[in-house]
Amino acid sequence: MGSSSRPSEGELLPGTLDMLILKALSRGALHGYAIAQHIQRASDEVLRVEEGALYPALHKLEVRGWLKAEWGVSDHNRRAKFYTLSGIGRRELERESRYWTRVASAVTRVMQGA
Amino acid sequence: MRARDRGLTVWNRVAKLWRRRQLARDIDDELAFHLAMKAADTTDARAARKQFGNVAVLREEVHDMWTFPSLESIWQDLKYALRTLRRAPAFTVVAVLVLGIGIGANTAIFSLVDAMVMRGLPYPHTDRLMALIGNVQRATVERRGNSYPDFADWRAQSKSFDAMAGYTPLTLTFLGGSDPERITGEAVSQPYFELIGATPALGRTFRSDEDAVPQRDFVMVLSDSLWKRRFGADPAIVNQPVAILGQTFTVIGVMPAGITGVTDAAEFWVPFMVQGGLTNRGSRGFFAIARLKEDVSQAQAQSELTAISRQLEIQYPQSNEKRGVEVSSLTDLLIGPLNSAVVALMVAVVLVLLVACANVANLLIGKSESRQREIAVRTALGAGQRRLLRQLVTESCVLALLGAIAGIAVAVFGLRTLVATSPVTFPSYVKPTLNVTALGFMAAVALACGVVLGLAPAMHARLANLGAALKDSARGTSSARAHRLRGVLVVAEVALAIVLVIGAGLMIQSVRNLTALDPGFDPTSVLSLQVNIPRVPTPPAASPTTPAALPAPAAAAATCQTVPAPPPIPLVISSADLIDRLRALPGVASVALSSDIPLGAGSGAVFYNAEGDATSGAQTAPRAYFHRVTPDYFATIRLPVRAGRLFTAEEMSASSNAVIVSENVVRRFWPNQNPIGKHIGLGNAPPCLSIVGVVGEAKHRGLPDNPTQDPDLFLPFTDRPGLAILVRAKGDANAIVTSVRQTIRDEAPGVVVYNIATLESLVDQQTSRSRFTSWLMGLFAVTALVLAVVGIYGVMSYLVSQRQREFGIRMALGASRAGILKVVVGQGAKLVAIGLVIGIPAAIGLARLLGSLLFGVSPIDPSSAIAVAVLAVVALAACAVPAIRATRVDPVVALRND
Repeated sequence: MGSSSRPSEGELLPGTLDMLILKALSRGALHGYAIAQHIQRASDEVLRVEEGALYPALHKLEVRGWLKAEWGVSDHNRRAKFYTLSGIGRRELERESRYWTRVASAVTRVMQGA
Repeated sequence: MRARDRGLTVWNRVAKLWRRRQLARDIDDELAFHLAMKAADTTDARAARKQFGNVAVLREEVHDMWTFPSLESIWQDLKYALRTLRRAPAFTVVAVLVLGIGIGANTAIFSLVDAMVMRGLPYPHTDRLMALIGNVQRATVERRGNSYPDFADWRAQSKSFDAMAGYTPLTLTFLGGSDPERITGEAVSQPYFELIGATPALGRTFRSDEDAVPQRDFVMVLSDSLWKRRFGADPAIVNQPVAILGQTFTVIGVMPAGITGVTDAAEFWVPFMVQGGLTNRGSRGFFAIARLKEDVSQAQAQSELTAISRQLEIQYPQSNEKRGVEVSSLTDLLIGPLNSAVVALMVAVVLVLLVACANVANLLIGKSESRQREIAVRTALGAGQRRLLRQLVTESCVLALLGAIAGIAVAVFGLRTLVATSPVTFPSYVKPTLNVTALGFMAAVALACGVVLGLAPAMHARLANLGAALKDSARGTSSARAHRLRGVLVVAEVALAIVLVIGAGLMIQSVRNLTALDPGFDPTSVLSLQVNIPRVPTPPAASPTTPAALPAPAAAAATCQTVPAPPPIPLVISSADLIDRLRALPGVASVALSSDIPLGAGSGAVFYNAEGDATSGAQTAPRAYFHRVTPDYFATIRLPVRAGRLFTAEEMSASSNAVIVSENVVRRFWPNQNPIGKHIGLGNAPPCLSIVGVVGEAKHRGLPDNPTQDPDLFLPFTDRPGLAILVRAKGDANAIVTSVRQTIRDEAPGVVVYNIATLESLVDQQTSRSRFTSWLMGLFAVTALVLAVVGIYGVMSYLVSQRQREFGIRMALGASRAGILKVVVGQGAKLVAIGLVIGIPAAIGLARLLGSLLFGVSPIDPSSAIAVAVLAVVALAACAVPAIRATRVDPVVALRND
């Protein structure tokens, strides 16, 4: 039980992908590949987003109304689907990041104490 | 997920519902773009794809985000079900037909139940509408109708009702136009129209002052049908005079179409006060309707009216001794008598459906066995138990819905034939149609069938799985357990079928009893008709005749010379002439005139007294029904003369004191004595009528028995405007209808002829309800029997085929053919026997439900034994065929086959 629930190297903590996607989009529209790249780079290559998780998550957030999507043209002149935050998505991001900061610092305090 | 998110999710999914293809393309494009970008970055397309994982699975997963996966899979199930059914056309056709018959028949009968029982009467506040029926306490409480003074007292004194109105059917002869016509309407007191919720389409209804003074306001409201038929839908009809025999009426209004009154046959309405003789408290005949106040119960109203009746009894002992009033729901009075038949039919038809379902369940089980492989493969591919169950239920629901569609045809056809061929006249407002309710019922029944049918093979599969687990250790027992469900189905089919077959047997037997019943007279070859003969017009009628065709019993008091005989009424043709003309017709054996016809409900009850007897009181005083007849009456309807003689020519007058009585008078007062020359009196008159003859008892007033056990009295016929003619033909009574009608018209212009019917048809009418019900029950029983036999045959064939190897071994080991036969038939016989044991008590329950429809039979009737025997024989035959096949098995072939 214990070993299987622990994320392996580079894997995301369960439940954090949605938040990371929202954060990646907070500065503007990105397509799926760019979102994955952004998360990987911003985490200094620690976090890697699997496509098998990314796209279901993107579509789930879109269908839920947190993201808006639009077809545009990529840097390489290819048709690509760009995601942006909706109003709801922006508020959810704030909520999630506040919650994350609180929980993460709390966990850190526990781990560094004793 | 929060509510907001869930709402948006559903909304966005629905928004994409109509752009499925676009959605799929977008997903593909998006994923392809990702792959391309990745390939460009890593320069290794295969590695990129590998890392990407299974694109197809991902595509599905993303796609599902946008759809309703459960709905999609139901749609898939449906498509799959249709495909499976198409692959087995023979099975599908048989199952759909069987279910179609079951569901269709149920829908047809349900429409009838819906139209009659559920929709009920077409009046407002039906639940509060009561019928007030005057009664008398004799040996039993008899319904007798109300008298106007009683009614007026109830109306004035009771506080339970909003409104109360009397109504009585009334026939008037409409003159003018080509032919005078006898038309039936109602005399009604106000607020009758308000009670039945009828407002005129034209003109107005009666003002209360128009119903206050006897025979002053001759006003009339026409029905839509009469207005169109006789008055050409004249919009200016209001305030026009209408010529009626004896009186001119003024039309004041016209009712809209569909208003037919409580008698359901009225084509006009006149004020109640138009009738004469309303002041006689003892003259009872009409019914009343009344609406309960909102907070008053039927029981409260009943006890209040009973108290008033007791008061009236004290006040008017002469006329009101033992007189009461029954407060009955109007619905019960008007459609109650049909209810038991309809409910019995509904039960029967549900049983047919159950047999049909058992059959289809059997087919499905058979089919699921051959699908074991498919199911195993699907289970191996990860289909869960629930998913498989859903698939099975979807399939059977599709089957049942197809059955329902076939059932629509059955129902439409069945309903049409039912209404067209029914000898029972349904009330005009009962219009059974396949309306939304009926179709909803049909859909519900079909779905219920579908679910149950889907569960049957599932249950079977579970048992079979259990069997499979034990396969190696005990093959025989496990398969026996798996087959138990089929055995249960056979038992159920037999049990259901025997209920119906016994029910039908009882109905058929009671109809046979009814038709074999001796009415006491011989209706064959007798034509009966009623005529109205106009008076000779010379002396103008002194008073307007009230055509309320009551043969007033009071007239009987004018016998024994207590008052001088009234002068004969001058009619355009005398009764003697009429008889002579008709007797001269070819094909006519004898002709008689009478004041009323047998089974025609035209004779009134009178009290009488016998010399030397002092019985009195409303409860026990001798009462009889009396008729005025010509001497040929007895020969014409073959009413046997037991003693004495018929009337002589001299006795044929109103002043005669000769009377002929039926046997029961003699049995009561002069047993073992010669009754000829004894005396009786009518009403309070002294016993001055002299008995000249005694005739047999006859069912004059109803079949299978007279409503009350009162004897009949016959007095000499006297000329009268309204009379009945009975003609015995030498051959078929129908053959002389035209010549009789023509002769009357030729000999006496202006005579109105009506109610022409053979006595046989009148006898038939009395038993029509039972005959019709038994016909339908028979049909249902045969259907159930056939279905059950097919089902038994199917199961037994299957069981034999499963045991073929075993039989082969047994025979190889020396078992005789007879032995094998015994084993197989024995197995079937056991199932049939269990079915019978369960079904027979249920049949007794059904017989109780049939109750009033049964005549002279109890559930323990020889016909039930015949029914059981028939079913047992047919069922065993169904077992025997596969059993014989089993004995023909060549052991070598059977063993090699495996």
